[in-house]
Amino acid sequence: MTVAMALMLAYTLLPLLWLVMSSTKNSDSLFSSFGLWFGHGFSFFHNVHEVLTYDNGIYVRWLGNTVLYAVVGAGGAAALAALGGYGLAKYEFRGKRAVFGAVIGAITVPTTALAVPTYLLYSKIGIVNTPWAVIIPALASPFGLYLMRVYAMEAVPDSLLEAARIDGASELRTFFTISLRLLAPGFVTVLLFTLVATWNNYFLPLIVLNNPQWFPLTVGLSQWNTQTMGPQTGATLDLYPMVITGSLLAIIPLVVAFLLLQRYWQSGLAAGSVKQ
Amino acid sequence: METSRRSLRPTARTATRTALALSAALALSLTAACSSSSGSKAANPAGGQTSAADALSTPTTLTFWTWVPSIQTTVDAFEKKYPNIKVNVVNAGQSAAEYTKLQTAIKAGSGGPDVAQIEYFALPQFALSKQVVDLTAYGAASLKSGYTASAWNQVALQGGIYGYPQDTGPLTMFYRTDIFKKLGLTPPTTWDEFATDAAKIHAADPTHYITSIDPGDAGGVDSLIWQAGGKPYQTTGSTSVTVNLKDTGSAKFAALWTSLLSKKLVDPTPGWTTDWWKSMGSGKYAMWIAGAWAPGSLETTIAATKGEWAAAPVPQWTAGAGASAENGGSSDAVVSTSTHKAAAAAFAAWLNSSTDGAASLNSIGLFPATTALLDSPTFLDQTFPFFNGQKANQVFADSSKAVTAGWQYLPYQVYANSIFKDSVGQAIANGSDLTGALGTWQSAISQYGTQQGFTVANG
Repeated sequence: MTVAMALMLAYTLLPLLWLVMSSTKNSDSLFSSFGLWFGHGFSFFHNVHEVLTYDNGIYVRWLGNTVLYAVVGAGGAAALAALGGYGLAKYEFRGKRAVFGAVIGAITVPTTALAVPTYLLYSKIGIVNTPWAVIIPALASPFGLYLMRVYAMEAVPDSLLEAARIDGASELRTFFTISLRLLAPGFVTVLLFTLVATWNNYFLPLIVLNNPQWFPLTVGLSQWNTQTMGPQTGATLDLYPMVITGSLLAIIPLVVAFLLLQRYWQSGLAAGSVKQ
Repeated sequence: METSRRSLRPTARTATRTALALSAALALSLTAACSSSSGSKAANPAGGQTSAADALSTPTTLTFWTWVPSIQTTVDAFEKKYPNIKVNVVNAGQSAAEYTKLQTAIKAGSGGPDVAQIEYFALPQFALSKQVVDLTAYGAASLKSGYTASAWNQVALQGGIYGYPQDTGPLTMFYRTDIFKKLGLTPPTTWDEFATDAAKIHAADPTHYITSIDPGDAGGVDSLIWQAGGKPYQTTGSTSVTVNLKDTGSAKFAALWTSLLSKKLVDPTPGWTTDWWKSMGSGKYAMWIAGAWAPGSLETTIAATKGEWAAAPVPQWTAGAGASAENGGSSDAVVSTSTHKAAAAAFAAWLNSSTDGAASLNSIGLFPATTALLDSPTFLDQTFPFFNGQKANQVFADSSKAVTAGWQYLPYQVYANSIFKDSVGQAIANGSDLTGALGTWQSAISQYGTQQGFTVANG
């Protein structure tokens, strides 16, 4: 058991260690030294400088784009999922089962398969090559909706809602002042899921964005990476360390987001609030 | 002082004169483009084409998709010469990533570029579906004589001309002089010697190999088959193709490399990875067989090995045969959804055909497709510090001239290459029989072709 855990730990941490170590090397050192330890020379700050300034600082722009897509897209998706999931869990209305069935069905369609039709649709309405083309699809998270429905069914007791109604609170007020707090752990879970999904989204932005000015980090870094594979034109171009250092910098915001959101990630907030 | 100046002057004058003559030739060809397009306008009024001269003097903004990072300098020179045209250089991704985008944008009818860089292996696909424009109407035929035969052959497809060659990759053997010297070997001139050397190098140090072969690179294997005289893909009509990965060239390739791989004399590590570059830098590999575009990559990535490399002709199947092939290379094509086709065609023509354009492309590391540059003494006498002062361009230019004629790519080569690793790639990785694997690849290629509506004949 311990051995298995140790192996799992190594499996998870070794690539990260490699990434950290490699980001301190220049090309020469990268290809001549041991991967999991420092090489000769310490080029980390030089690499960071190169990453941030190459091509008029396009990397910073990509980082900004990714943050925009993640905050608006993932935040919006989590909010919509919370509203929808809560509605599906706590209200009775005609066609509820059909709506839920459609959502479950939507989970099974891979986003990759939808990318090309999405492009054609967006091209018709003229939002190809704009941030909307990435943000709008990110807003719809069927899995998030499903998760929120399941969570809301358990976490928000019907009797609590009834108590609120008796006290004269409107449905909207009940949602924002009572239910949303109870839903917080589920909401944060969905937020983290959608955040990771949007942060790492590759194929859709690749298809719908042609202008590098709107690329997220995934597409931009992959473009740098493919550029290393093939004729390298321009003698000063040393892309390998830039791809590696750029990748390291790209995961930092996600790690920070996890650390910050973790403390909201507790369950059982409603325990003892009502007598069942 | 006076004498040296005098001796300089005629040379400078000759150079200017050559430049003038060449630009006059280009001007003539542009005029030819003008007259031929006005001719086709009369014949085909729906085309709505304008002449190149008109197009270049009309204020226009063109979008150019390319992944060559330093190409902006060449484009700047164009914009300076034709101030009415603004060219927006967009790096929309390289190779397959770009093609996916390009096809989607063309299908949607908007969002695509006016000019796109397309590799030779992918061009037939775009040409067949008319996603790129036949440049014959813009006078492309008159520029033919400026390009090497093999480069032109890559863009003259299905009875039209679908792009201007931007760069080529004549196959070359890059080898480590220090390793060959240490073992007392001379660089192999035939594949037999190559196999013998492979055994010697591996015997001298079991962790060392003569070279690697990339299990993910269909283009690399295609080049080796091409150099062996194979012609596995032939387009016989607009919807009919022949696939024969069992022809003589393919069979020679398969027999040699199966034997090398099964004896573990070559290393099947995927190319361009950190692992692979590490081996390239450390001397684990004694050589790299690649296109003439390789020096830039070697210089920037493993700068520490400067002076230890040299370029030599690729080994021959028959001693002294002097057969070569292309590895990589790309063209600039005008996209069918462009609303400025005449200007786009004129830009692509200038970029790749004009003396200034071609020289500028070469200065940023692209290996030329134009004969004027390939034959110019300045180009041929250029010394490469990375190759210990070798005039490597001579080796590349010879290889370029020796490219075996008649090679074709399938009109769905992008897909064919993408499934390479499932069959041949696997065989390379485990050192199993390549003949069988090529057969499996061929069946998969034929099956896909049939599904796409092609009549596929198997050789």
